[in-house]
Amino acid sequence: MKLDRRLFLSTTAATLAAPMVLGQGRPRVVVIGGGAGGATAARYIAKDSEGAIDVVLIEPTRKYYTCFFSNLYLGGLKEIEDIGHTYGTLAAAGVNVVHDWAVGVDRSARQVSLAGGGVLTYDKLILSPGIDFVEGAVDGWDITAQNAMPHAYKAGSQSELLKAQLMAMPEGGTFAMVAPPNPYRCPPGPYERVSMVAQFLKANNPTAKIIVADPKSKFSKMALFQEGWADHYVGMVDWIGADFGGANVSVDPGAMTITIDGEVTSVDVCNVIPAMKAGRIAELAGVTSGNWAPVNAADMSTKADPDVYVLGDAASQGDMPKSGFAANSQAKVCANAIRGALTGSRIFPAKFSNTCWSLIGTDNGVKVGATYEATDEKIAKVDGFISQTGESSELRKATYQESEGWYAGITADMFG
Amino acid sequence: MPAGSDVLADILAIKGDLEYGEYLASECTTCHRHDGTSEEIPGIVGWQAKDFAAAMSAYKSKSRAHPVMQMVAGRLGNEEIAALAAFFESLGR
Repeated sequence: MKLDRRLFLSTTAATLAAPMVLGQGRPRVVVIGGGAGGATAARYIAKDSEGAIDVVLIEPTRKYYTCFFSNLYLGGLKEIEDIGHTYGTLAAAGVNVVHDWAVGVDRSARQVSLAGGGVLTYDKLILSPGIDFVEGAVDGWDITAQNAMPHAYKAGSQSELLKAQLMAMPEGGTFAMVAPPNPYRCPPGPYERVSMVAQFLKANNPTAKIIVADPKSKFSKMALFQEGWADHYVGMVDWIGADFGGANVSVDPGAMTITIDGEVTSVDVCNVIPAMKAGRIAELAGVTSGNWAPVNAADMSTKADPDVYVLGDAASQGDMPKSGFAANSQAKVCANAIRGALTGSRIFPAKFSNTCWSLIGTDNGVKVGATYEATDEKIAKVDGFISQTGESSELRKATYQESEGWYAGITADMFG
Repeated sequence: MPAGSDVLADILAIKGDLEYGEYLASECTTCHRHDGTSEEIPGIVGWQAKDFAAAMSAYKSKSRAHPVMQMVAGRLGNEEIAALAAFFESLGR
């Protein structure tokens, strides 16, 4: 059939002028954030809809550095490029990858505005923006201090900066960490980081010390980490929990001091991991309540808007930890539900799972995991397991090797 | 005949729902690479349905050791294991 140019133009104009709705051209899903939640959702919707859905992924970075495994880079087990991933394969698979910042969401018009000036209309919107930091969470620290005192909790240049500072520490120097309050991204992450920093220092600067100021009195895999620190890094790690004043902390990035419960200590490196909240775009979209975005467990749609979904760290969903594995799991449930809503394909019951591996030292891996189901109230835990103290070195090595396999698997699952 | 064999026979008697299997398989591919290659975690793409069902039944009954797999398999019903087995076998054709 020969195309009628006048008809074609009029049809195109009508499509551009009106929001896309079912039955008029391909429905469009806009995904904001190309990490474990967003990249996975975009890939699955594009793959499974076989072109029936127009999938647009908005992600500002051209190369994404995974927060998971970034501690292994600090510990010297990975190069920074080992945890960097580009979006070319996703684009080749049919996802329209837009490298720009989403700066606004108009839910009544179903539009997303971009920093570069573009406006995208959506039928369904997925927000997977990860975390931002709560302003004023750590006395003396703000985002202008992140070069003097890096957070390194969004991987990439911050990870490289912290590694450089670690390598430049004077002999017998002090590495301080301000740990975050619950809830936050990757519950075992700060403690795996302590382990990897200790591993680096043990090999390169064995008289150095690590101080951790923690607003919590207990933390993820606590017994496993404390056993590992006592076994591998004797006398190096001083963890100061809430019971000993760890919540009463301030920093001075100019003077490079940390004050814990009134005691001032000069430090050489200070890794400040502030309290967290949903990535800013979730707040701009008006789907947050407090610091996070409440969602329905069955499909990850927000309580505020059935056509806006939130995945991963930014969501308030119930029992799942804020992890890359969890975001990836939630993305698949969400993708199935959205595809069903837009194309009439079958929608299956939500099933979620999570496993978090952590490395205490070379070949000393531990893990915690659980399965979850959707209830009317939340994502609810069904079953779980955790590594045990006193496990054999063979088992710990196998657990570490398994985490390497998981990393290869999940990054292939995210980026294609 | 042990009880596990009865369960396996029941699973193998079910015609697996491929579409459901594809959905359920998305949980597997977080760790098991979708291209079927093995990298510390074994590839499972293209396995014979009977082998897949036997492995999952063994994890579910905890006669085969591995905490993650016992947990994952533990909540799968026979219909779901049959669906997964059919799907992963179909990828090998």
